[in-house]
Amino acid sequence: MVPTPYYIAVSALLMTIGSVGVLTRRSAIMVFLSVELMLNAANLAIVAFARQWSASGVEPALSGQAAVFIILAIAAAEVAVGLGILVAIFRNRVSTDVDELSEVRL
Amino acid sequence: MNDVVQWAALAPLLALVGSLINAFFGRSLKEPVPGILASLAVAGGFVLAVLAFIGLQGSDHGVQVTLWRYLTAGTLHLDAGFMIDRLSVTMMLIITGVGLLIHIYSIGYMHGDDGNSRYFAELNLFVAAMLVLVMADSFPLMFIGWEGVGVCSYLLIGFWYRDRANPDAGRKAFIVNRVGDVGFLLAMFLTFKAFGTLNIGAVNAAAPAMLYGSATLTLIGLLYLLGAAGKSAQLPLQVWLPDAMAGPTPVSALIHAATMVTAGVYLIARIGAVYAMAPAAASTVAWVGALTAFVAAFAAFAQTDIKKILAYSTISQVGYMIAAVGAGAYWVGIFHVLTHAFFKALLFLTAGSVIHAMNGEQDIRKMGGLGRKMKITGVTALIGTLAISGVPFLAGFFSKDAILSGTLTSGLLAGNGGDVVYILLLITAAMTAAYMFRWYYGIFAGASRVDKHAAEHLHESPPVMTWPLGILALGSIVVGYLGLPEFAFPNLIQRWLEPATAKVDFNTVSVSTDWLLVGLSILMVALGLGVGWWVYHVRKGAPVASLKESNLAGASRGALGFDALYRILFVASGEGVAGGIATLDREVVDRGLTGTGAAVGLLGRLATALQSGFTRAYAFAMLLGVVTLVVVAALTGVLK
Amino acid sequence: MIGFVILALVMLLGGVGVVTFRQPVHAALSLVATLLALAVTYVTLQAHFLAAIQVIVYAGAIMVLFLFVIMLLNVQGQEPAPHLRWMRPAAYAGALVVAAGIATIAFIDRRPLPGADQVAALQGGSAEQVGTLLFSHYVLAFQLVGVLLLTGIVGAVSLAQRGNPAAPAEPRGEAAPERELTHG
Repeated sequence: MVPTPYYIAVSALLMTIGSVGVLTRRSAIMVFLSVELMLNAANLAIVAFARQWSASGVEPALSGQAAVFIILAIAAAEVAVGLGILVAIFRNRVSTDVDELSEVRL
Repeated sequence: MNDVVQWAALAPLLALVGSLINAFFGRSLKEPVPGILASLAVAGGFVLAVLAFIGLQGSDHGVQVTLWRYLTAGTLHLDAGFMIDRLSVTMMLIITGVGLLIHIYSIGYMHGDDGNSRYFAELNLFVAAMLVLVMADSFPLMFIGWEGVGVCSYLLIGFWYRDRANPDAGRKAFIVNRVGDVGFLLAMFLTFKAFGTLNIGAVNAAAPAMLYGSATLTLIGLLYLLGAAGKSAQLPLQVWLPDAMAGPTPVSALIHAATMVTAGVYLIARIGAVYAMAPAAASTVAWVGALTAFVAAFAAFAQTDIKKILAYSTISQVGYMIAAVGAGAYWVGIFHVLTHAFFKALLFLTAGSVIHAMNGEQDIRKMGGLGRKMKITGVTALIGTLAISGVPFLAGFFSKDAILSGTLTSGLLAGNGGDVVYILLLITAAMTAAYMFRWYYGIFAGASRVDKHAAEHLHESPPVMTWPLGILALGSIVVGYLGLPEFAFPNLIQRWLEPATAKVDFNTVSVSTDWLLVGLSILMVALGLGVGWWVYHVRKGAPVASLKESNLAGASRGALGFDALYRILFVASGEGVAGGIATLDREVVDRGLTGTGAAVGLLGRLATALQSGFTRAYAFAMLLGVVTLVVVAALTGVLK
Repeated sequence: MIGFVILALVMLLGGVGVVTFRQPVHAALSLVATLLALAVTYVTLQAHFLAAIQVIVYAGAIMVLFLFVIMLLNVQGQEPAPHLRWMRPAAYAGALVVAAGIATIAFIDRRPLPGADQVAALQGGSAEQVGTLLFSHYVLAFQLVGVLLLTGIVGAVSLAQRGNPAAPAEPRGEAAPERELTHG
């Protein structure tokens, strides 16, 4: 088995790459994509820890995987609503440039 | 008779009350009420002084009047009390007597001045403070009077304060006095340390038991000399008196001729017992007096202001008095105070009369021949001139002669240059006669250099001013007879004052030597007057043109450069320091403060950059926060 | 180990691609690659059910939705704003520091791996295992997620409704020219 720290390192790298994307990208959709990347990185970390602590006895085994399941569901809902907002904004202003979207009102 | 003497303690109170009334209500009183009120207060003091004088005829002890205890600190007990003995009564008579005449004169002189009531309030306050000074039985109380006269002097010199030069002169007087006061204070501290008390009588009683010529006594004597030098305008603190002529002429007459400048003489005479035990200090006193007399007489020759000549003359004559008390001839010094009070006040008041008639002109180059138009003023001025020159049978002759013989025969000065002191004073006598002749001749006699326009307004002064002149002239003639040379005649004043002052050894000389000394001084006077007559009358030299523009004349006019020296030493350096501190304040402190304000503004502007409105910037800030958290966690939590 | 390395490489390269590709479609596809690799990673971590869900929901539904929107809005790639050009290097630097920090912590604070028998107890994270857990211990969370999904549906539909031209869009349409932000 691959030791846990490796998974954590990969997760950390993915998370930070995602954050770079959030900060660097100009289009709102690209920012959203980067956010999804960050979410997945977190999921990876949780699953790795779920395996690590499966025999700790504090929580039921596989609690981490249940958590990831729920996170997935949340991510789906979030994406749906977020993209809906983006579409609505685009209809009003034609531009989805985050730098120009300093007012949140529609 | 003790009760009558005790009443004299009220004299300062009378003058003080007069001062307060004039100060608070004077504005609403019409002229000449303030002047009359002030004169009455002084007259009351004079009456009390006369009563005390009569009361002290029988006894040679004084009367102690203790008023109240105002300070207790450890072993130090300070009482406010007066010692009314023969010495203080003599001074009181001079102060209130001459003071009364000058108050009356002032009613006429200050007529029409809108500061009339203020003038009389300050003049009365001066009389009160001076009386406290001479009657005090302890050094701190005397110091209170000492400071009081200094304040009044300042107020009165700068009386016409709207002209900037006048309060400047007053400030100069006060500051120079202050230097002397430091000496007085230090001497007080030392006195308390050495004697354990600050009561003058107790100090005088304990002095003979101390070590003769000890360092402590000498130091005390020297420090009191410093104080006296400040108040009496002696070297090196004489620079304030010529400038003090900026005040009204009666002020110059009372304060800077008759009374305040003699406070130093009184002080040394009062604690004569201390000086009798410290020959080094006493000799220093005599030397200071003699040198001052000489230097001031030298400076008087090239002056062109009618009052400045008299100012230098005052410095010179006070130098005589200081020399006398330095030699241990205490009654002689006080005697000269008495005679000088009369003829110097007289001379100043005649000068005032002239200034009044000339509508403010004070330059003697623009005067001449005024005696023809102003008869009373001219005659009394002549009497005063002759008296100060020491012409026989007038007052100055007797007192000056006593001083000369005193310095020559003094036991204190023997071995410390007593004869040189004598010679200095002798030469100065000749100089005095010469420059006073120049003064008189240049103003009242000879050709008239008066401006046409001013000549029309020339008139004799009103009676309220000429009566005091007459009384003072009479005094200048008569008062001298109180002190006839004792080797041949009964000397009233010596018998009166000697019991009240310390005992000093004097070499006795033969009667013929005494007559020789008298003849010598008469010779000097004749020499001085003769030179003056020859230069100004025979050769018709103008009082200023006759002096070639030589270095000597320049040195005389600048009074040997003391003012210039002090300006460089103290004023310039003081201004330099002040300028430096001002620059420091402006550049460092102010810049620092405004810089702080600017820095705060800068910080604010930097903080504004954070609120840019760009969401990505905020997201980046969040990332930075995460970075910080991670680093902190890594460093503290995990790496144990 | 080799498998892990390969998977890690794919994931990381995909992540970098998401962040750097200029064209949005390329970036989205790059993310798909990352997600698929992630699913395989879940398998190695004894989370088979999750792997399946990941592929079906994430890569299958969410990314498709992204691609729909990208094509619908015809998003173009753009240069970053000039006054925020400092952002790129700063972000990279910050990211590197964070990644390094976390990795350091992870490697220093390592615990021993669970034994083989414990792993077997995981039963590979089968659907049965996870389902049992969800419906017993975490049933409240499960239900709440359901409510959340409902909310999301309602929100998305209402947002879609706003775009109706017959709806009161004129005031906003007229107000739009006042705003300086509108431009092509």
